[in-house]
Amino acid sequence: MDRALKLRLEARFGGVLRGPVRQRQDQTEIRIAPRDVTDVLRALHDEPPFSFPVLADLAGVDTGDTLQVVYHLWSGTTSDWLRVIAEGLPREDPRVPSATFLWKGAEWMERETYDMFGIVFEGNRDLRRIYMPADYTSFPLRKDFYLADDAARSPGAGVRHMERSHAPNDAVAGTVRRTGAA
Amino acid sequence: MTTTLPPGTHVSGDDPNVLIDDDYASYEPIPPYPPRTEREAEFYTLGDGEMYLNMGPQHPSTHGVLRVVLKLEGERVVDIDPVLGYLHRGVEKLCENADYHQTISQVDPLEYVSSLFMEWGPVMAYEKLLDIQVPRRAEYIRVLSGELNRIASHALFMGWFALDLGGLTPILWSFIERDEIVEMLAALTGQRMLFNYFRIGGVNGDLNHEFLSRLGDWMSRAVGQIDANTKLLNENEIFVRRASGLGVIDTDMALKLCMTGPNLRATGLPYDIRRAHPYSVYPELDFEVPTRSEGDSLARYLLRMEEVKQSLRIIDQCLHQMPDGPIMAKLPRLLRPRPGRAWAALEGPRGLYGAYAISDGTDQPFRLKIHDPSFIHLQAVGALLPGHLLADTMAIMASLDPIMGGVDK
Amino acid sequence: MSAVSRTWDQLTLPGKFLAIVVPILAVLTTGLILVIVLFGGAIWNVILANLPVVRFIAAATILLLLSPPIAFVIIYMEMKVIALMNLRLGPDRVGPWGTLLSTVHGLKVLMKEDFTPTRADPVVFTWAPVVVFSTAILSALVLPFAPGLFGQDLNLGLLYFFAIGGLTVVGLLMGGWASFNKYSLLGGLRSAAQIVSYEIPLTLSVVGLIILAGTMSLNQIVQQQAGWFVNWFVIRQPLGFLIFVIAATAEANRTPFDLTEADSEIVAGFATEYSGMRFGFFFFAEYIGVFIISALTTVLYLGGWNAPIVLPHIVWAIDIGSLSGWILAIVAIVPVLGTVLLGAPFFLFRSRTRWWVALIVGFVLFNVLAVGLFGLWAYISFDWVAGLFWFVGKTFALVFVFVWLRGTLPRVRIDQLMGFAWKWLLPAALLNLFVTAFAFVVVH
Repeated sequence: MDRALKLRLEARFGGVLRGPVRQRQDQTEIRIAPRDVTDVLRALHDEPPFSFPVLADLAGVDTGDTLQVVYHLWSGTTSDWLRVIAEGLPREDPRVPSATFLWKGAEWMERETYDMFGIVFEGNRDLRRIYMPADYTSFPLRKDFYLADDAARSPGAGVRHMERSHAPNDAVAGTVRRTGAA
Repeated sequence: MTTTLPPGTHVSGDDPNVLIDDDYASYEPIPPYPPRTEREAEFYTLGDGEMYLNMGPQHPSTHGVLRVVLKLEGERVVDIDPVLGYLHRGVEKLCENADYHQTISQVDPLEYVSSLFMEWGPVMAYEKLLDIQVPRRAEYIRVLSGELNRIASHALFMGWFALDLGGLTPILWSFIERDEIVEMLAALTGQRMLFNYFRIGGVNGDLNHEFLSRLGDWMSRAVGQIDANTKLLNENEIFVRRASGLGVIDTDMALKLCMTGPNLRATGLPYDIRRAHPYSVYPELDFEVPTRSEGDSLARYLLRMEEVKQSLRIIDQCLHQMPDGPIMAKLPRLLRPRPGRAWAALEGPRGLYGAYAISDGTDQPFRLKIHDPSFIHLQAVGALLPGHLLADTMAIMASLDPIMGGVDK
Repeated sequence: MSAVSRTWDQLTLPGKFLAIVVPILAVLTTGLILVIVLFGGAIWNVILANLPVVRFIAAATILLLLSPPIAFVIIYMEMKVIALMNLRLGPDRVGPWGTLLSTVHGLKVLMKEDFTPTRADPVVFTWAPVVVFSTAILSALVLPFAPGLFGQDLNLGLLYFFAIGGLTVVGLLMGGWASFNKYSLLGGLRSAAQIVSYEIPLTLSVVGLIILAGTMSLNQIVQQQAGWFVNWFVIRQPLGFLIFVIAATAEANRTPFDLTEADSEIVAGFATEYSGMRFGFFFFAEYIGVFIISALTTVLYLGGWNAPIVLPHIVWAIDIGSLSGWILAIVAIVPVLGTVLLGAPFFLFRSRTRWWVALIVGFVLFNVLAVGLFGLWAYISFDWVAGLFWFVGKTFALVFVFVWLRGTLPRVRIDQLMGFAWKWLLPAALLNLFVTAFAFVVVH
């Protein structure tokens, strides 16, 4: 737990943080709005007191209410992992600036997040589905995604269109979990 | 009686009762839908003198089911578009509907060659969520079995790399190594490949007599055998000429591509999670982090062989420093961590293996995101390959060591 | 009709086979006997008048008939030797030590479906394996297997060999182009480039030898290497030998130059779309090619059918006629005696052996001994037997070396391959040529 890192983060990004800097064990976490992703990531990458060269992971999360994009960064200047959560993305039109301007390797990670959640990364030159086929119509890792039970009995439903993403009201009770944990 | 055929069809040469559509199946691997992104449009427009070659999901040499569309100009590769998803199993979604304990066996088949590392990530993340302290003996056993798995994985890499370059013998010799290690781990864990050995708070079974005797037996011969195996390739002029200068990456580009592990260390940066962000009992162990500066395929291969020697050192120290004690922390049967988030990362044979676990207070994880290094490194092939020849496709891909199970999650 | 069909249904498969084959054979045999009896004399005169043509037909037929067995042996060698180098067992079950496996492979290849891909050019597609196979066989016609055992002793034997051997590339290109498959096309083009570029060092490396030998006739080249092994041309032309072997490996598409069929990159190269017997032809042609280049290397550099040492001239003539009445006794008694004598030690000195097992062992050993003695007599009495023995021995030793190379070395890349041919082998061959010519002029 690196207290100095917390102070540096609060000092530099105080305005844009949407909540306190949380620290637990060896991880430090900050939350920002999607529109600030570009500035924050660039500052974390370039500015000397931070200088996070390694992007360890780029994940999408569906909290039940909204979507999030979670970045994990490593730096030699601190002993903690830094977690940057871009939260509050609306389910209907989730958009986040892409991190590919800093790390070209984020391209496929963003493709995967788009494929699984539908989050659109603006600035990613190649935002197409990576795991699912090109004509797949839903986003599997969302909480309101479920497989139709009677797909096998339907004569016309091919393999690809048997999964349909319904509105939460049509979902089976208990499918969507809303928690305050994420 | 001559019957006129429908336009655009002809009679099959083999069976006169069969009519074949002349436009039957586009033979070019161009998608039948309009390009979705500008990169796809750029790739799927042919320049002058270029052609597509589809190394399909069924191919003797892609490292699993991977489809690679190459744009070639003669023998020279101009561009490459890997198509994934043939092995996608939806593991992350399955983990959301499984207990914490069940997720461990769910993530095993991701990187099936180095399953212990794949399990270790989520297990460490859950231990952080639960705030539990793993007993020291369990940590030592984890390191010991992990390093054995690392050696097995690198042995497979060596064999596969040589096979992709055309040598038939090294893969069989390295599989002798791998077989012995895998039998050892079967004596320890009960399984030869998808071990399902790590548990939240420790490991599943203690070291037993058969494992230790096999391990001792093997360790006495290990260095000699590994040297003999690598000598076959290291001194082979053809192999060296094929692999050196191939797919050169420099540190900047590697960091931009988010590469980790031996691929990054071969460019000169000694970044190893075991030293950069120590976990488990690695701070107590004495080993070096081999680094090379050329950044080509040969450097990656030689680096992995040096890592094998360091792993042997670590195993030796583990055996000598093994403490007594329990191998599992005391935990309730039904695990309900407090709501929260945890990230854990470790250094596996391919690079950074990470797990991000979110708990919502129930007995099933709310989200488990696995970070897999093979996924990232396969991107690098697209950045490295243009300009090389067709034969180098396989060489570069093999030297970056992707495992399709991990790429496709 | 129904009685016939019922009887037919009652036959087993071997029965059906025999029911068809035996009458046909009977008819053919009677026909043949009739023809020989009626027209035998006339036929013989025609043969005597056209002896060269008959010789060619006979030689080509014998080569065609012998090529499957040779290919089978080489395929088995490759599987077994590479397996043993890989520290595994290889073929094990079919036949003793798996020796019948390649025969089974040949039969399997015959039984597979032989289709033409949809957009392939059927004529070219069908003729490609024929071209490849027949060039291999034709080029083997000039090889002297033993004194007197050759298809034809051409004055330009060596030139003929290289000319016909170079036609293989036409067949490979035909196969690669007609398959309508990009992998095949790449394989065919690679092979064309490779074979054409390695032709030149191949032929140049032999010119030094031609200067020394003064002839291009393969038979005479072998005859000039008679005597001790220091007469072999490998001693006099070591660099030429090396270049020749390397270039011949590339000509035969063998590892390390096997990128035309590199199965980790382009599946099976030009043979990707082939199956069934057409693939069998390509497959055979490759192994016959290995045999032929080994045979050529033996003929040119390793003394051909000459023994490495000069053996004293023994005459072992057995005059069967002088034995007259005793022959019956010998034929009756010697096998029995031999069986008992050779089986006795097993029975006497090993208590677990039953007496009839010992007799069987004795019988087998006696057969081995008898065949060995017969072979020795044939070796001593007929010089073609001796020549064939040495020729085949040396050739298969070289085949073993080629198989060894395949098991050990990885593949070179196309640009490295071409660079090696043009930048290294060609100057080396020219150097060899100049040095040989200079030495020849100086010495003479």
